[in-house]
Amino acid sequence: MIAAAFLIALGIYLACGLVFALPFVLVGAKRIDPHAAQGPWGFRLLIIPGVMALWPLLLRRWATGVKEPPEECNAHRRAARKGVAP
Amino acid sequence: MGVEYVSVQWNRQKKFYDAVLVGGVAAFLVIFSVLTKVLFPRVTDEIMLIRAFGTGAFLLLHIILCIGPLCRLNPQFLPLLYNRRHAGVTCFLLGLIHAALVVITYHAGSDTNPILSIFVSSPINGSVSSVPFQPFGFFALIILFLMAATSHDFWLANLSAPVWKSLHMLVYVAYALLVLHVTFGVIQGEGSPLYVGTVALGLVTVLGLHITAARREVALDSESRLTPHASRPTESQSLVTSSPTEDEFVDACAVADISENRARIVCLSGERVAIFKYEGKISAVSNVCQHQNGPLGEGKIVSGCITCPWHGYQYQPDTGASPPPFVEKIPTFNVRVKNGRVFVHPKPNPAGTRAKPATIDGSSRREEAHSVTGNSESLVTLAATKK
Repeated sequence: MIAAAFLIALGIYLACGLVFALPFVLVGAKRIDPHAAQGPWGFRLLIIPGVMALWPLLLRRWATGVKEPPEECNAHRRAARKGVAP
Repeated sequence: MGVEYVSVQWNRQKKFYDAVLVGGVAAFLVIFSVLTKVLFPRVTDEIMLIRAFGTGAFLLLHIILCIGPLCRLNPQFLPLLYNRRHAGVTCFLLGLIHAALVVITYHAGSDTNPILSIFVSSPINGSVSSVPFQPFGFFALIILFLMAATSHDFWLANLSAPVWKSLHMLVYVAYALLVLHVTFGVIQGEGSPLYVGTVALGLVTVLGLHITAARREVALDSESRLTPHASRPTESQSLVTSSPTEDEFVDACAVADISENRARIVCLSGERVAIFKYEGKISAVSNVCQHQNGPLGEGKIVSGCITCPWHGYQYQPDTGASPPPFVEKIPTFNVRVKNGRVFVHPKPNPAGTRAKPATIDGSSRREEAHSVTGNSESLVTLAATKK
């Protein structure tokens, strides 16, 4: 019973991801990452499985109007942003 | 990442890497199948293929997991790291074919959904022979899918390298699940201690290499850790370094400690800093490459740019910025050179900010020359003593 519920939930999640992936690879990818604007069809096809897996994250970025990929965070970058030595 | 994404960033090295990878996998599958037919003539073709693809995926995962620590222990293994993502995708594809063959052979054709059958086909009764080993493989395959699906540079940029790396650390969970999957599968199938021993040997190899590499990294970090307070020069040194330390600059190393076009790595401000010497100058940058967080200080300066040893991403040593059209940037550090010593300010500059390189002064060059001469003299003395 648990296994059946898990597999149904997984199937629904991935189906939602596939539905989201189509408009995302056509329009959304270039909105949240300008380097994807001229991406060839091969690139768009290659990212579809990842979009299906991580679609809630990408939907949030697209919906909130994010225009650039995030800047990574490590000790040096945090200290540089704060303007003080840690 | 600074230019438009392409499907696959092919170059001559990557094509060679992939040719060796595909050739190696094909050779393994053929040899494994032939040996299975010779040694176990009663094994059917379906089971032979299931075992060949499953064993191939498991063996390739071992190789992939060993590449990281091997590179930490010996830079000669770095070429294996260059295109490791393609090896990971190949591992997933082998595992996927293995799983598809299992579902077709054992789970299709009944009233139960074939995927659901993986979970419900083995009733648990408390004995080792009833442990349902196939769900372990199912969840491992899901993790390998997640990693293969996010292997493109688009995901590195949009998740950021630290998050991407954390996600890909799930490979260790997948490996643990696969060890359980294979161990219980072998016990319930052939039952030969030889197979269980082989799995244990692989596990010991992977764990041993990781522990050895981790111990070495911890030792290196503790040796090179600097703090503004603790690393102030001793009384004898302060006679010649009083000016820089008054401004909180930290005595990092001697100029002579750094080879030309190479770096000395120190731990400062919670992360490693790479101090490069080139063209009579010294510059310091964060040791963390923006691409996959590779160790820049273990690379060298090529054509005037710091070049990451992992994938060749480049940064100008004074600005920490990649040469156009690339847009990667790393934090820089203000540096000074005085009396043959390099001083680094612990506060990093924002990524891509130019920090004026310190010019190696005459006294530093003399000390460097003296150090080299001293070493030569020591070698001559040692040779004479040996004679």
